[in-house]
Amino acid sequence: MTKTTPFSIKRRTFIAGSGAAALAAGVTGFPAVLRAQAPDPVRIGLVHPVTGFIAFSGTQCRAGAEMAIADINAAGGIQSLGGAQLEAMLADSQGRPELGASETARLIEGGAAGIVAGFSSAISLATTQEAAKTNTPHVVDVGVADDIVNRGLTNTFRFAPGYGAVAQSAVARLDEINKAANSPAKTAVIIHEESLFGTGTANLMSEELPKIGIEVLSVIRHANPTRDFTNIALQLRSLQPDLIIPANYYNEYVLLARTLRQQRIEAKGIYSVLGGAASNVQFVQEFPEAAEFIMDCNHWYDPNSEVALQRRAAAEAKNLFYTYEVFCAYNAVAFLADAIERAGSTEKEAVIEALNGSTWDNHGMPYGPTEIVNGQNQGAQAVNTQVQNGKIEVVLPAEFASAEAVFPMPSAG
Amino acid sequence: MINRNQLLTLLIVFAIIGTAPFLITRESTLNTVILILYVALLGQAWNILGGYGGQFSFGHAAFFGTGAYSVAVLQLQYGINPWIGLFIGGLLAMGVALFIGFASFRYGLRGSYFALVTLAFAEVLRILSNSVSFTGGGVGILIPLSRDPANMQFANNVGYFWLIWALCLACFLTVWWLGRSRFGAWLQAVRDNEDAARALGVDVFATKMKAAALSGFFSGLAGVFYAQFYLYLDPAIAYGSAVSIESLLVPIIGGMGTLFGPLIGAAVTHLLAETTRHFVGDVPGIALAIYGLLLILVVMFLPRGLISIFGRIGGLFGSRRAADA
Repeated sequence: MTKTTPFSIKRRTFIAGSGAAALAAGVTGFPAVLRAQAPDPVRIGLVHPVTGFIAFSGTQCRAGAEMAIADINAAGGIQSLGGAQLEAMLADSQGRPELGASETARLIEGGAAGIVAGFSSAISLATTQEAAKTNTPHVVDVGVADDIVNRGLTNTFRFAPGYGAVAQSAVARLDEINKAANSPAKTAVIIHEESLFGTGTANLMSEELPKIGIEVLSVIRHANPTRDFTNIALQLRSLQPDLIIPANYYNEYVLLARTLRQQRIEAKGIYSVLGGAASNVQFVQEFPEAAEFIMDCNHWYDPNSEVALQRRAAAEAKNLFYTYEVFCAYNAVAFLADAIERAGSTEKEAVIEALNGSTWDNHGMPYGPTEIVNGQNQGAQAVNTQVQNGKIEVVLPAEFASAEAVFPMPSAG
Repeated sequence: MINRNQLLTLLIVFAIIGTAPFLITRESTLNTVILILYVALLGQAWNILGGYGGQFSFGHAAFFGTGAYSVAVLQLQYGINPWIGLFIGGLLAMGVALFIGFASFRYGLRGSYFALVTLAFAEVLRILSNSVSFTGGGVGILIPLSRDPANMQFANNVGYFWLIWALCLACFLTVWWLGRSRFGAWLQAVRDNEDAARALGVDVFATKMKAAALSGFFSGLAGVFYAQFYLYLDPAIAYGSAVSIESLLVPIIGGMGTLFGPLIGAAVTHLLAETTRHFVGDVPGIALAIYGLLLILVVMFLPRGLISIFGRIGGLFGSRRAADA
């Protein structure tokens, strides 16, 4: 007779149990170890207009975002998630808000931990709203409309400045440049594309310019796309403004600048606000004469930052023009990745909390560490650039300047 | 008999579509169904005038945009609830359609001349909405977020699904009625031979005007839905040529002058776009290229649209020949 107690274990039972446990570990435990060594990738949804009328900018955004993902993966991925690699989920909005929204929904369903979108303001409004339905973190890369972050969506963040802040900076710095040259500019004409970005910027400039003593002679709107600026050039010849202020996308900006040169329209300055081409390396390289001395208040990196210069060199090594779309999208992805790193999770609430508490500073932009209020990075600012001798130089603010502003611009002769 | 079968088929199809919120758990898939219904509504609205009436419009954006702007402006500037705005938007779009119709049909414009006039009106409205302040100009109109069914805004896609499902069903039932009513017969007579119809005593002008009114009304409803779904409008979205093109492409691909053509066209084009995006989405523009290829193939080999594939079953589904009979 064998005496047993409720907690006694027989030798055979122990051996059998151990064997079963070892088998179970063999079946399930070992792969668990493998999983720990190769954690699940973190998916980032990238929604950009890579076809349609703003395809150039959308393609540049996508390239910048993919560069960021490649760099973060090369540096070991998300360390707090065991080195999880970032994986890009690509989508094309075709420049249409409704497609941007449906693609955002598709990527979120496909497991995107966060969304980076959508270049244009109208598309960004749609993608942020769609992501808000599932409270998915969404970082806007370039869309500048202030309403994107002002309408109470708690999932929505913007690393770069909105056009309200950009327009205020643009006017204040124009005043500074003008006064430093004994105020030669007294009149201006604003030429803008007809959508939210161009119209919003033009409205703000129209209100603010008279406050610094510059009369707005005319506000000229054009459609997207516009393929002939001759009539607008003739209007400018008739109005003879001291300043020409364009706010439009890349293709139209290039055409406008070339037409002004061909028609020999001269002014004391061409001063862009978020000019699609004025701070664009491709424009400066391909049309150096048309670009010379054009000033722009736009997204631009800190020319004194080693991080920024290294990224630019890396982009150019890949034959990529280092335009504002590239570094804005790059930083939007890196900003999101930093939040995932600090959250140590892809849980939406945790990532959103990490984005709200972000103090990220490895961006190479003239912003300082991030400080988020209602989704907007408070330190984000545009800088003033000017094309001088075929190079894009930062002329203001003084602490980031690589050259002094040339104003009034010399006659083309 | 054919019409009774059509009605039964229509109700069965919409009943099947109505199971979507219960069977589909993925929000993005339900979103695709919503977009298919929305485009089917646009296409069916165009089909009333273009497919059944033979009046090819290139400017249905004029009606769509009017409906969209109406609901947005009414709720933002006058505090009018969007459920009321839904009908006002539809009626105002109908008013625009009657105006354009009067200006065109009164002076006997048809064919390519009518198409150009409608295109021109849509462009005029786009430019006007860019210039006047109450539409927000180029900045557009952003409808504030207020996720409450009372404001025709829903927390998830299920609410939007039922809204567009109901609008679409109403439009399709109207078109079914067209196929069996005396007015529908007059309309098709005008389409097939205007002079012969007039000789038989059909009031051609009044018939076209009624078709334009119906078509404009449903396009306007589609515009209202768009405004409430995406909550943002600008002149290019509301009155841009993309809406006009989508409105006419869907019935052309599916089958003009048929009850189910716009639904088939919308489903096939959207599912094709989704599929190509899924498999080759990383290649920019490939989905658009396949879309274009499909259009070319349909025009070349299926001039009566995809619905003609159904052959004998086409009679049941309401092909033009069957409807004519």
